[in-house]
Amino acid sequence: MPTLRIDQREISVPQGTKVIEAAEKLGIMIPRFCYHPALGSLGACRMCAVKFMEGPVKGVEMSCMVEAADGMVVSTTDPEAMEFRRYVIEWLMLNHPHDCPICDAGGQCLLQDETVSGGHGLRRYQGLKRTFEDQYLGEFVQHEMNRCIHCWRCRRFYQEFAGYFDYGAMQIGNRMYFGRFAPGPLESPFAGNIIDLCPTGVLTDKPSRYKGRRWDLQRGPSLCLHCSLGCNLVGSARYREMIRVEARFHGAVNGYFICDRGRYGFAYANHPDRPRQARVGEEAAPLDQALKTAAQRLGQIRERYGPGAVAAWGSTRSSLETLGMLQWLCQDQGWRGPQFFPQASLARRVKAAVARLDTGMAVSLRDLENADFIVVAGADPVQEAPMLALALRQAARRGATVAVIDPRPVFLPLEYEHLPVSPGDIDLCLNLLSQAARSEEAATGKLEPDAARFYGLLTSTNLEDPLLQERLLALGRKLQDCLRPVIVCNTDMVRETTPARAADQARLLQADKGQAGLFYLLPGPNAYGAALLAGREEVDLLAAMEQGGVKALVVVENDPLGSCPDQERLLRALDNLELLVGLDYLPSATAARSQIFLPTTTVFEKEFSHFINQEGRLQQAVPLHQGGTPIIQVGQGSHPPRTFLDAIPGGEPRPGAGILADLAAALSGEPAPPTAGDLWDYLSGEHEGFSQLASLTASALGEGVHLLPAEAQEPAWSPEPGEKPPEPPAGQLELLLVDQTFGTEELGSYAAPLQKVEEEPHLLLHTDLAADLGLAPGEQVALLLPGGEVTVRLQTAQNMAPGVAIMPRHRRLHWQKTGDGPVWLPPENIKKLSEPL
Amino acid sequence: MTAWITGCLILLLKLGIVLVGLLLLAAYLVLAERKLLARLQIRLGPNRAGPLGLMQPLADAVKLLTKEDLAPAKADRLIFLLAPAVVAATALLIFAVVPFGQDWVIGGRRIPLVVADLNVGLLYALALSSIGVYGVALGGWSSNSKYALLGGIRGAAQMISYELSLGLALVPVVMLAGSFSLVEIVAAQSRYPFLLVQPLSFLIFFVSAVAETKRIPFDLPEAENELVAGYHTEYSGMRFGLFFLGEYVTMVVMGSLVAVFFLGGWRGPWLPPLVWFFLKVLGVVFFMIWMRGTLPRLRYDQLMHLGWKLLVPLALLNIVVTGAVLLLLRA
Amino acid sequence: MEPRRNFLAAAWEGLGELVRGFATTFIHLFRRPITEAYPEYHRPLPERSRARIILTRDPDGDERCVACYLCSGVCPVSCISMQSSQREDGRRFASWFRINFARCIYCGLCEEACPTLAIQLTPHFETCQYDILTLVAEKEDLLVDHGGKNRDYNFYRHAGVTAVGGKGEHLQEAKPVNRRSNLP
Ligand code: SF4
Ligand code: SF4
Ligand code: SF4
Ligand code: SF4
Ligand code: FES
Repeated sequence: MPTLRIDQREISVPQGTKVIEAAEKLGIMIPRFCYHPALGSLGACRMCAVKFMEGPVKGVEMSCMVEAADGMVVSTTDPEAMEFRRYVIEWLMLNHPHDCPICDAGGQCLLQDETVSGGHGLRRYQGLKRTFEDQYLGEFVQHEMNRCIHCWRCRRFYQEFAGYFDYGAMQIGNRMYFGRFAPGPLESPFAGNIIDLCPTGVLTDKPSRYKGRRWDLQRGPSLCLHCSLGCNLVGSARYREMIRVEARFHGAVNGYFICDRGRYGFAYANHPDRPRQARVGEEAAPLDQALKTAAQRLGQIRERYGPGAVAAWGSTRSSLETLGMLQWLCQDQGWRGPQFFPQASLARRVKAAVARLDTGMAVSLRDLENADFIVVAGADPVQEAPMLALALRQAARRGATVAVIDPRPVFLPLEYEHLPVSPGDIDLCLNLLSQAARSEEAATGKLEPDAARFYGLLTSTNLEDPLLQERLLALGRKLQDCLRPVIVCNTDMVRETTPARAADQARLLQADKGQAGLFYLLPGPNAYGAALLAGREEVDLLAAMEQGGVKALVVVENDPLGSCPDQERLLRALDNLELLVGLDYLPSATAARSQIFLPTTTVFEKEFSHFINQEGRLQQAVPLHQGGTPIIQVGQGSHPPRTFLDAIPGGEPRPGAGILADLAAALSGEPAPPTAGDLWDYLSGEHEGFSQLASLTASALGEGVHLLPAEAQEPAWSPEPGEKPPEPPAGQLELLLVDQTFGTEELGSYAAPLQKVEEEPHLLLHTDLAADLGLAPGEQVALLLPGGEVTVRLQTAQNMAPGVAIMPRHRRLHWQKTGDGPVWLPPENIKKLSEPL
Repeated sequence: MTAWITGCLILLLKLGIVLVGLLLLAAYLVLAERKLLARLQIRLGPNRAGPLGLMQPLADAVKLLTKEDLAPAKADRLIFLLAPAVVAATALLIFAVVPFGQDWVIGGRRIPLVVADLNVGLLYALALSSIGVYGVALGGWSSNSKYALLGGIRGAAQMISYELSLGLALVPVVMLAGSFSLVEIVAAQSRYPFLLVQPLSFLIFFVSAVAETKRIPFDLPEAENELVAGYHTEYSGMRFGLFFLGEYVTMVVMGSLVAVFFLGGWRGPWLPPLVWFFLKVLGVVFFMIWMRGTLPRLRYDQLMHLGWKLLVPLALLNIVVTGAVLLLLRA
Repeated sequence: MEPRRNFLAAAWEGLGELVRGFATTFIHLFRRPITEAYPEYHRPLPERSRARIILTRDPDGDERCVACYLCSGVCPVSCISMQSSQREDGRRFASWFRINFARCIYCGLCEEACPTLAIQLTPHFETCQYDILTLVAEKEDLLVDHGGKNRDYNFYRHAGVTAVGGKGEHLQEAKPVNRRSNLP
């Protein structure tokens, strides 16, 4: 712990800390451009000069390049250092086009700040200014190269940190150019981060271009709801419109960055068709009145058919408040449900995963970066939870081995081993890996009896493909020497046994090495909370509705018509209903079909909300504004109307939890049931996973808390091998419904910026298989599914499992015809429609 | 019986004329003050309402009457509403004892040009002016506003302090006239106005009178640059108008008292007594306005210093000296 | 008895000052008032006096305002609001721009902040209205077709953006760097 003095104040910092960081700990912000805590030091900009008065280094030096050492005395305000910095900023500004008024960085620009703080006021240079041509960099990043000061941050992030190489530095010296070789969209789904990183206005946010200055925005800490990782955001709203989202630092979750899905997905909140008015039948009605009508009709149905005739269906994108209130409402009223997942099988997988997490096992994204061996089972990080890919890259940069066991042609921006096996084989691969990692006797000798017994039970049939088998065994041998392995497992497309199996293997590794991590991906930002609330009992509303036992359905922030793989069956079931009550903030099909509709607010509006991410971390989203129709929509682009109202236009929607509470009150005739604090009390009694909730302080909530139990709910090894998963009918293809970075995730699919970049819907087949079927990539094919035919463009890949057909749940594809459960397709069901376009 | 009825009628008539006259005078005094002040400051003064701004008082009255009558939510309503009336009423009532001309004889009836010739007229005037303090103090207090409260407190303290010198300054006058009746006092000045024999009393009385009317340089209770508007900060509309009216009526009344006590009342050569009376009153009032255009406001400590350490001792001294001289003369 | 004489002297002196004061004000009574009777007489105001605000145009006749929000940011009473957007030709402009003159205190800070000299205060101060909403001026009400106080300035001639004038075409600009050659 070297101790040094900076500006007459003493501080001790860990070995290896740079002087610039040490100063920051003291609250002294030394001017900087190229230094960034996530990217490290470079020494390119020379802005961070300070004077070293005493100690191993003397004179004016770059504080970002010098490591703190004992006995150092540093002055940031020494005249010599100040003069140095004044000249540096002057030369950095030499070619600056002086166009701050039309630059979106103005007002949040490091260059502006440092120019002012550096004391550079008037331009002395009267020569010609260097200029550059700009490039089209896609729909997210705006390029204005004249403003560049050559700090290298963008390139260092894009290539080194994120691992994509289509953007970089060209040319030499003063002519250095940051861009692509040819104009075109940036390939990386993390490209948005270079906007946050660029200290100038070269790279600015395109969707929010010219929408307002930073000082006019209503900003606040928020959360990303576009996958289960729960990255932290700063949201910005202006004139009732969500303008922009930036990454918010969270040491354990997302670090300094977020993915582009999280950055631009927020636009669903501004959707022009967003329902902002309550509705009874076809008639718009005031919210209170619609609520009363709903309560009345629900009451009638309860009286006529008993409380079990009413059911509730929520989703994993609701806040914990809404989910909890829904749960409370069902308990209080004796309703059926609530169900939180679109399919019972998915619910089982998620519950199995959540039941296996505990403090000893779960790892955060940050812990993941420090792992030295990572097995990714049944997940395609870039497509499903992009920030996971970035964390994997950091681990790989530190020397970790990354192995992906997944049928898809997974791409990761790092060096990794991909084993394309079908979902049915993932369990087996994990077993084989385990076995290869330790010999039989080592296992029995060292492991505890429980673990050893489990080890003994592992099946060890070989994989069909000897090449894959060999690679797997080689990986296993590598695993032998690793100290901090982590298993990453998804719950989406895998077999029902896989989440538990991944946990077992992680336990085995832990027993073996003393340390191992388990990292699940879950469907939706609050899937963890939903799984805890759902408890052990199985609810299958679809079946109940089909049998006619359910007469009224309350659908809360959920779109079964969009998420249920068997839409036909669902439609039939919905026809059995007498009443469909919908609560939502999206213009979804279910919302449109509801007989009574009650509008709710998004995470950005009106009230605090909480979400639990996939590692059991409860995090808080602060409301940014009071909601309402954006002024830009009210005024149709022109100036807002000159009318004075005492209510916000379109400001009627309320948080789901509040509406449910009022519904409960109207149903029982009693004053409103638990809200906020009381709800926490209720929840902490409801499930031991929530037991901490009641005692949480406001600051703990603000920072986020781990709700993980010390001991997993299901510590036992899962019985091996259980019943064997159904064998694929010979010669048939397994149809896999998967996620894509853009275009499949529910909220993001309502966001205009993401709609511009999403891929075409497609069907993915193995190249050889396609050739056998006489199909070529790019062709339109008709796919005969149990629920009917869909037309889709064909793509092929070499590096995928042979026995599967992969189809994203694309918003523009009617994939809801596939039916529940694993779908087996005879290859003849894929028919050529036309020649490649 | 008929005599009694005619007496009553005449009294009522007199009352009416005096009241209307007094109010009109006060109203036009406002205009005169604004005009004069403007000229003292090289401005024009009000000149928009009617020719030369002569309808200004009317316009003001209409404005004040049509303004919303506000009372602060936390005010002590009853007192708040009553206070302005107290101020205006006491000012008007004082004038009842002021003789403003020689008795008229109409149809053999002597009609004294005074509403009521009380034998304790002087005490009555002093007593009423003390009651005026209540209006100010209660108005300030009941508004429930810090500015009004401060103004009220200042007003009460100032008026009570100067009450003393006001009264003491009149003792020599009473000693000279040998009566408390204002009619008698005027009568006692048939040979010379008391100003000539009691210049010190006059000075003390005049200064105290200005202080009683809370006018510059003694306008601390309303000191607008410190206290917004002092004790009547929270008043609006006609209630504010009453305060305003009270102030100007007090001005006229004080002018009349100065005239009665020191300038010989309505007495004077050549001109009719009524005209003399008015001239004297107007002269005093003009001087008050002139003073307003010339002098700055006193500091609070200066105000108290002047009152207690200068005027009261001087007045007492004056009484002693006057008494001594009178004794000597009689002896 | 020294102090007493001083007191008398001071009193005498004070009296003299009093009389002088009264005399001064009295003489004023007979001077000509300096009042200007306003609606009958308009005093010509200097060009830089600060009243009603206009949005000017640059020498090419295009709107100068680039909707940079600096005026609205600096306005102490927050009476300027606007929405910036991009015109078809790439130029940044205000799709709406509103000044609430009922709130404006005519401090001139907006004019000082404006980097394009677009917003300017004029001597025209007679803006009273009976309906307060008519004091809200939209962009159409504010735009004039001249350059106001400085008719020659053109922001886009200086700022090196592609939108107006190509790269390297602005004042003091070199031709764009050729990315494909290392030759100087
Ligand atoms: S584009 Fe921005 S981040 Fe990249 S080098 Fe230039 S100034 Fe730095
Ligand atoms: S990784 Fe997931 S949570 Fe994080 S920003 Fe991307 S979509 Fe949002
Ligand atoms: S003059 Fe002052 S108050 Fe008026 S708009 Fe400009 S900055 Fe705002
Ligand atoms: S400061 Fe000037 S250019 Fe910027 S928005 Fe205001 S008027 Fe327009
Ligand atoms: S921050 Fe140290 S040289 Fe750039």
